[in-house]
Amino acid sequence: MSKKSLFISAVIVAAALAPFGFEPKGHSIRVLSTALLFAAAAQSWNIVGGLANQISLGHAAFFGIGAYTSTLLYLKLGITPWAGMLAGAFLAVIAAIILCIPTMKLKGHYFALATLAFAEVLRVVANSWETVTGGSVGLSLPYVNPSFIDFQFASTYWYYWIILVTLCVISFVFHYISVSSLGYKLRAIRENEDAAEVSGVNSFAVKMIAATTSAAFMAACGTIFAQFNYFFDPESVFNLPGISIRVAMIAIIGGIGTVAGPILGAIFLIPLEEYATAAFSSVAGLAQLVFGCILILAVLIQPRGFMAFCSRKKKKPQNSDVGAEVGQ
Amino acid sequence: MASYGVRQLLACFFGIFVFLGNAPAFAAEEIAIGVLQPLSGPNAKFGVSSLRGSEMVVEAVNAAGGIKSLGGAKVKIISVDVPTPNTAAAATQRLVSKNKVSGIVGVFVSSTTLAVSEVTERVGVPIVTFAFADQITERGYKYSFQVTPKGTIFGNAQLEYALDIAKQYGESVKKIAILYEDTAYGTSQAKGIRVAAGKNNLEIVVDEAYPLGITDAAPLVNKLRASGAEIVFPVSYLNDSLLIIRTMRQQGLTIPAIGGAAGYIIPDFKKGLGELADGTLSVASAAADQIPEIALEYKKKYGSFMTHEAISHAVATDALIKAVEKAASSDPAKVRDALAGLETCEGFARGIPGGCVKFDANGYNSVTFPLMVQWQGDEPVSVYPKSVAKAKAIWRTQK
Repeated sequence: MSKKSLFISAVIVAAALAPFGFEPKGHSIRVLSTALLFAAAAQSWNIVGGLANQISLGHAAFFGIGAYTSTLLYLKLGITPWAGMLAGAFLAVIAAIILCIPTMKLKGHYFALATLAFAEVLRVVANSWETVTGGSVGLSLPYVNPSFIDFQFASTYWYYWIILVTLCVISFVFHYISVSSLGYKLRAIRENEDAAEVSGVNSFAVKMIAATTSAAFMAACGTIFAQFNYFFDPESVFNLPGISIRVAMIAIIGGIGTVAGPILGAIFLIPLEEYATAAFSSVAGLAQLVFGCILILAVLIQPRGFMAFCSRKKKKPQNSDVGAEVGQ
Repeated sequence: MASYGVRQLLACFFGIFVFLGNAPAFAAEEIAIGVLQPLSGPNAKFGVSSLRGSEMVVEAVNAAGGIKSLGGAKVKIISVDVPTPNTAAAATQRLVSKNKVSGIVGVFVSSTTLAVSEVTERVGVPIVTFAFADQITERGYKYSFQVTPKGTIFGNAQLEYALDIAKQYGESVKKIAILYEDTAYGTSQAKGIRVAAGKNNLEIVVDEAYPLGITDAAPLVNKLRASGAEIVFPVSYLNDSLLIIRTMRQQGLTIPAIGGAAGYIIPDFKKGLGELADGTLSVASAAADQIPEIALEYKKKYGSFMTHEAISHAVATDALIKAVEKAASSDPAKVRDALAGLETCEGFARGIPGGCVKFDANGYNSVTFPLMVQWQGDEPVSVYPKSVAKAKAIWRTQK
């Protein structure tokens, strides 16, 4: 075992044991779980946003598809949310393909705007297709006796561990993609798509694989979110600032295109936001102001994300590097 | 190869540990009550006045010697901003596990209330709410209490009351229009209007949902004009309500507008519309002229009239505190049982029609009913039904 994999294992073990420091139904474990869930979602986003530099502002679409698919299957047909999670991931893959075909050739802002519109369309559909989605009133998960099959647990520990496993799986897939030939192709496309095409990279296929993988994982996060919160409405899962921008922001603040970036970003931002709400609730809007200022500061101090601190310390990033290089 | 920053990750984890572990301690001799309201974002106005309603009750209780059955324990509000449903679960959990609240009051917004109530049910802490969504007390939950009428009852009253007032003036109505925003509140109230319209054999010539925060009401108003509707029922929060009424009146469309509470009965409605506000009717769950002494005190303190959400949340807070008094305990489960058997008809409870709080088996305050208010001068005045009316309704004030 190399020194690095030893470190990673130690971190995972520490993370798995972390809940025992907290009250099982308490607030802290809930915040930590939420942080890891958003880390997982940001990691999914990172697959297209980080490796291919396709900045999507519509990942809430897949998140919402995941939440709606599993919850509707559970409510209407009694199918366990675990199977619903797979169904949601499958639908998200189809949605990603539909979204990708027309938007694949778009770059930069145009791609971002197209994805943004896609999530917004789904929000409107969920709002108005009342017979199926329950409309704007939203969906509540029935209060049942906690059981594994119903994906409901009395102790937040279980949610935490499920989320931790999800985060680990997505992170390993991200790592695997980034060191595989697919990762090199994605980076080649990011640097110069025409040059990559000339060198024999099938940019359409490569981007499609990245986009569908990312969408499937994002949908899984949506299912877990629904189970963890017991309630959601179109406004909460297809939300632009609440989901789409948040996952992008977490990855960017943490270090876009790196494995640890989204995790660091989420562990920093989510508790900070929660803390700001708790500490500054006395004056309306102050919490957001403080949170916003800290965000601006974070970006000003290190525009390339937290991960840039450690790569700068060690060596200059190279082009073949998985590390923090953005903004080309 | 790249660095993965494991060391940073570890450090971060421990940082969180330390930060979350050092929660502020809870003072035992005070009774903590959680108040969840949207204090930022588009519904902040409503959230702030709702919170004021709760604060007023707590000040009154503490000034009168606190909770007597608990040796004069003082009541303390712990208020948290919940601008969206996504923030509700964590906020609720914090109130319960960190602040050890005996119960929760809120939330002005229906969807956020639903999100909160899913958590309160599972952790066994009562929530007393003013939110309208029918589901709140129709899921068979034991810890959710609704002090004011549900959305469909509101929608029904909005139409029935309007028809009754029209009848007093010898006018018969055949065609109506419904404009509502596509939120939980808008859709459930629109449903009530639709059902009532069916019962009265009215033709709905416009039935239009629009997204919260539209910037141009002209297309809606044009449709309204073309349809030949005789009454319009707009259900909306503040900015949309201003836009719709202003566009209507500026285009010379004088048909009566019967608003669906929220944006139609707050000080900003008058501020934004001036003279154009006069004569606009609206349903409401409470009105300041039902409790003039308390409303006057509120006005002195905060500089504007006591809105229906402030009164309703005051009633909710009052009911919760009375339940703590009755239970002689700060234990949420005991407070919940006390709430279920509570009957109170004094003080703040007089602000809502029916004047009492008494929950049925589902936790719904079935004693109360909506009332109709009308802008006459600087404040909305209760005009219907007769049992609560303080002035006569005026039909068609606009020429």
